[in-house]
Amino acid sequence: MTATAPQTGARTTGEVVYDVKDVTLRFGGVTSLNNVSLQMRRGEILAVIGPNGAGKTSLFNSLTGVYTPQEGTITLAAREGDEMTSVLGRKTHVINHMGVARTFQNIRLFPALTALENVKVGVETRQKSGPISAMLGMPWQRREERESTARAYELLRFVGLTPRANELAGSLAYGEQRRLEIARALGTEPGVILLDEPAAGTNPVEKQELAALIRKINVEDNISVLLIEHDMKLVMSVAHRLVVLNFGEKIAEGTPEQIQRDPAVIAAYLGTSEDEATAMTEGLEVQAIDVQQSALDEPGPGTRTRTDPETNTRGEGEHR
Amino acid sequence: MQDFLNFLVLGLTRGSMYALIALGYTLVYGVLQLINFAHSEVFMSGAFGSYLVVNLVAGDTFLPWYGVIGVLLLGMVSGGIVGAIVAYGLERVAYRPLRRRGAPKLAFLISAIGMSFFLSQLAGKMFNRQKNNFFPEYFDANKRIIEVNGVHVTLLQVIIIGSALAMMLFLDQLVSQTKLGRSIRGVAEDAPTAALMGIDIDRTIARTFIIGGALGGAAGFLFGTAFGFFNTMGFIPGVKAFAAAVLGGIGNIRGAMLGGLLLGVVEALVPSAPWGTSQSWIGLQWTDVVAFVVLVLVLVFRPSGILGERLGRAA
Amino acid sequence: MKRESELSVQLKRLGGCLALGFVLALMVGKHEGSQRDYGFAFRQAVFAPRIFVFLGIGVLIYLLIIFWPRVTPYLQRPGVRPLAAGALTVVAADALLRWTDSGQIEGGKLGAMSKAAADTGSLDFLTRAFFGSIVPGTPWILLAVVALLAAAAIVLDRGTLAWSAAALAVLVGLWGFYAQASVRSFLGAPDHSTGALASLLGYLTIACSAVVVARSDAEHADTRGFVDRLFSWRPGLPLVVLGFVTGLISLLVATWFSPSNAVDKVYDLGSRFAGSGVSALTTAYVSWLVYALFVACVAVAGAATYLRHKALGWVAIVLGTVSVILTLVVLHDFTAVAAAAGFDGASKPWKNLGVGGWLLCASFTMLAGAGWIAATHKRADDVVAADLVAGDSDHLATTSANFNKVLLFVVIAGALFYPPMATPFWQSVLVSQIGIYVLLAIGLNVVVGWAGLLDLGFIAFYAIGSYTTAYLVGALPVKPPEWLILPPLAAIPFAIVICLLAGVTLGAPTLRLRGDYLAIVTLGFGEIIRIAANNNPHGFTNGPRGAINIPHPSIDLGFFKFQWGLEALPYWYLLLVLICVIVLLFTRLENSRLGRSWAAIREDEVAAQATGINTTRVKLLAFAIGASTSGVAGVFFASQVGVISPDNFLLNNSILVVAYVVFGGMGSLPGAMAGAAVLTWLPEFLKDQVPAEDRQMWIGAVILLMMIFRPAGLIPAKRRKAELSGLEKPASAETTAVPAGEGM
Repeated sequence: MTATAPQTGARTTGEVVYDVKDVTLRFGGVTSLNNVSLQMRRGEILAVIGPNGAGKTSLFNSLTGVYTPQEGTITLAAREGDEMTSVLGRKTHVINHMGVARTFQNIRLFPALTALENVKVGVETRQKSGPISAMLGMPWQRREERESTARAYELLRFVGLTPRANELAGSLAYGEQRRLEIARALGTEPGVILLDEPAAGTNPVEKQELAALIRKINVEDNISVLLIEHDMKLVMSVAHRLVVLNFGEKIAEGTPEQIQRDPAVIAAYLGTSEDEATAMTEGLEVQAIDVQQSALDEPGPGTRTRTDPETNTRGEGEHR
Repeated sequence: MQDFLNFLVLGLTRGSMYALIALGYTLVYGVLQLINFAHSEVFMSGAFGSYLVVNLVAGDTFLPWYGVIGVLLLGMVSGGIVGAIVAYGLERVAYRPLRRRGAPKLAFLISAIGMSFFLSQLAGKMFNRQKNNFFPEYFDANKRIIEVNGVHVTLLQVIIIGSALAMMLFLDQLVSQTKLGRSIRGVAEDAPTAALMGIDIDRTIARTFIIGGALGGAAGFLFGTAFGFFNTMGFIPGVKAFAAAVLGGIGNIRGAMLGGLLLGVVEALVPSAPWGTSQSWIGLQWTDVVAFVVLVLVLVFRPSGILGERLGRAA
Repeated sequence: MKRESELSVQLKRLGGCLALGFVLALMVGKHEGSQRDYGFAFRQAVFAPRIFVFLGIGVLIYLLIIFWPRVTPYLQRPGVRPLAAGALTVVAADALLRWTDSGQIEGGKLGAMSKAAADTGSLDFLTRAFFGSIVPGTPWILLAVVALLAAAAIVLDRGTLAWSAAALAVLVGLWGFYAQASVRSFLGAPDHSTGALASLLGYLTIACSAVVVARSDAEHADTRGFVDRLFSWRPGLPLVVLGFVTGLISLLVATWFSPSNAVDKVYDLGSRFAGSGVSALTTAYVSWLVYALFVACVAVAGAATYLRHKALGWVAIVLGTVSVILTLVVLHDFTAVAAAAGFDGASKPWKNLGVGGWLLCASFTMLAGAGWIAATHKRADDVVAADLVAGDSDHLATTSANFNKVLLFVVIAGALFYPPMATPFWQSVLVSQIGIYVLLAIGLNVVVGWAGLLDLGFIAFYAIGSYTTAYLVGALPVKPPEWLILPPLAAIPFAIVICLLAGVTLGAPTLRLRGDYLAIVTLGFGEIIRIAANNNPHGFTNGPRGAINIPHPSIDLGFFKFQWGLEALPYWYLLLVLICVIVLLFTRLENSRLGRSWAAIREDEVAAQATGINTTRVKLLAFAIGASTSGVAGVFFASQVGVISPDNFLLNNSILVVAYVVFGGMGSLPGAMAGAAVLTWLPEFLKDQVPAEDRQMWIGAVILLMMIFRPAGLIPAKRRKAELSGLEKPASAETTAVPAGEGM
């Protein structure tokens, strides 16, 4: 991976994929997203950055139907030729069927299934055959089974996991699990893929592979990518456009070059924690600097006390 | 109206019993996120243990009022001690080894069920398997203490409701005020973090079992005095108390109290409505059905119980 | 956290062991509490010299734990494991199993038999000597001598010692077998006891271990490696050996025909039935054909296995199948003739048979199985090609797949031909306990094991299935319209549909609840159904008396008619068909897209949703499919027993079925079946061992021990293994203190 300015995706058009208008999301008294608007265009890689607790994951969860914002509209036309449809109030799996796939900040695979089966689960959500045809082994069900296996192997090759197809997902290395999660998401044939901190906890080599993979997804499959990432080097090298959130509000939007010079952004990052400011500055200066592993973004002590939906997502899922 | 109030008193009596047992479920659920299926046997052993002690000390005589109080205290304390011992043993045998192995959640449930079978049948073998054991009559349990316009409250009802309320209050204070309570809440909230803060998780869990067991054992004594005791006596109240804990929001101490009282009142009032006439709309044989239907309805509208879960948050 | 001192750890451990001994003292024995004197039984158990025995056991266990690290190196020596297995088998056979079914010997175990036989003058000297006419307790002394000799051979690693231990083990085993056989022929009645056979097997295992010691140069045992090599060398070999041995037993020692007092071996049948009007086939069969068939089957199956010859394999299959059919025809023929002629009180066709014919059938089945393995075996070059594709972990997989195939055929042979050998008591246990609960466990496994939903009210669907049947056959007070009254078997589809609907009705409002909430709601549902049945709304269910006179099932296909009656055995085969069909369907389901969706929601519901799985629909399907299975079980149950009442559907049974599934191995179909089979068999087995009222206590203890030492169950599921192997969670105390709240 060379540190050149990001190329434009192969077929970026002006067409809007996700249209977020004036979205406000509150948890009790805490406003997690405040009047956020953004538009994502077909074929682009849009990165959402911001300090911890800025509302990035809340935005993701609102986009995928985990949370329903109190105000504003979110409309979606994930695949080419789709009508713009509102996603508010729809269930997560319905939104997934509308063409939105996602990965999770803290990897959420199905650890007791093999890598191949994990991807097959994704692929098969687009299939039709039901339990009875499965029990009776109907020809069309067998054909679908063969197709899903073939497609899953194809996707595993795409992310470079073919040799590990038959191993349990829980036994894969961290970086491999990240890629497997992406493969599973791709299996649902999305028009948009939402990646939540895909580089967290990966080493520099894995980061480079990941950047290449994101570009490949974007260019080869013509999938629009929405990316949350702390690693500025990665963000600046792959994203076409950036949106910066801070305290639930959008403070800037633009190309990497514009963002790097935006005083509000720099202020926001300097105002939070030392680590992130450093990370940001590293991104701001020359992207070719060999970054020491900086991406284990433990939140600083100052941000810990805030109600942070990002760190709470897992808990919410469990205790609801 | 007077029948309504009589049924209400009946319901409160039953409900406070449920609440006492439900506390044991809810405490363990709070720290382990597990249903302690063998808690009903802790309750049963409390009844048998207190019987042995009380019978040894007081024998089969009618007592003066201070004697009654002494027997009651003795019974509750001895029942509580036996319950605590059994609960501690239960934790050591049926839970800790599985925790060490990182067993799936259902394995805990099944080991608790195994323990439950074991304990109830062992008690049956040691004592007997008949269902008609009673404490000696130390006092006139049915003596009417309060009687207004046909509404009456018996001595036994007063004792049960009073001591249950006292114990619940005590527990509430224990969990919210003391150091032990703080460590219990810490483990309930976030065990790994609590461990990092220097809380000994195993010890906290064991103590949680002991507290729950003591309450369950004391409840066993009260139940035994009121309705008699036998080796499978824990099963039905156990199921009901579990339902009560879920009703109030499992893992939530005040929820368990509220759920227990509510369930008892509902069970007493709904099937007997309209009170006083000979023909009731629903009929007493549908009591359990009413209880479960109420539970389902509550859960459908409030999926995590009336007060919500989380031991840490509520107390 | 404080580090506890070594001393206090040891003290705690010792205390634990003593407590264990104390509890054992309470558990063992016949004492029973009384209402008069509470604590009488307790004092009897504790304040008596016997307590020291049990505390001594506790100390022994403690010592064992202490010295375990020193013992382990010896356990790695070759031959130790088979020695332990063999010795345990002999102990179990001598202490627990019956040595005779005859009512003349109380309990029928070795102890009682020894007392009776040692003093019986008309038995020969060898027999009496075995049973202790010279030294009391001879069987135990013999066992100790053999085991010590073998152990000495292992520790000292002496070839001569090992060979003599092996020879002695074989001799003692045969001696015991012979002694039991002569007592049996003295008592004269047909016999189903397993003690002598198990003891023989145990001694043979010890002999094997001694041979292994003698032949092995290795420092460490490589038992698994040996098994692997065996199974990858000639996968069908164990089946050929088993088939050969059972066949030999059948032809040489087993009883074939035993009306009242006769005990005919196969070679006696020729003279008995000479000129009695049996068919030419039977005459030929008993005079030479049976031997020819057996030799041919063994030869062909053996050759096919050794040469890995596909065509020969097919020949073995055909030959085995034909032999089974011929044997069955002959069995039917001569019992029918005997019944018609009234031989010695022979009653009906298929009656008065000994175990011989069935054993031979089992033998033929296993030989055919060996043929099948040979016929479907992949050539070495195929295997290599497959390895290249699938990666290196596949080699082990093929080994265990071979083992599973062998096991499969042993199970098939057992399922088909063991029940007719069993006593009527065990036949009825097989049907009304084991079989039914296996079916229920299969159904619940879908809900609990695969989809990860805790259902504590599963028995409700069983009840619904039963009552639906009762309604449709017109056994309830409220009758269906005339045109709808059905024979029991035709009620199956209706019961399935009704249970599906019930499952959906229960599931739709409640499935969004998380694990433990769902548990109590389903539990409540189970109770509601039972209470409703008991309370008899609108006179529909007939209250506590339940439905009576439900007809037995029957089949009428025109060319084939069969009417089931009171006997248990025919139901077994009906049940077997049902179970086989359901297992086949469910195996396919498990490996289909729905099966994977279940696994996905069980593992991580949020991720499953984000991957596009409609979790509500998938959960509902699990509920409905599980419910319909127990509906089938309900139909079977209702029409088998003919009388159902609300008492058949207690909450306790629901809990037990969950225990069966988890005991066997959550999420594993063979596991759930094995769990149900073992835990329903156990109480009946315990009848002979402990006071009947104590059985549930022992079962509780067994379940507890299983969960402590093997939380994944008897046969863990492939997909579940990840949770337990600690892939995600480090094994430190902090992180495992609270299990992750996923799944259940």
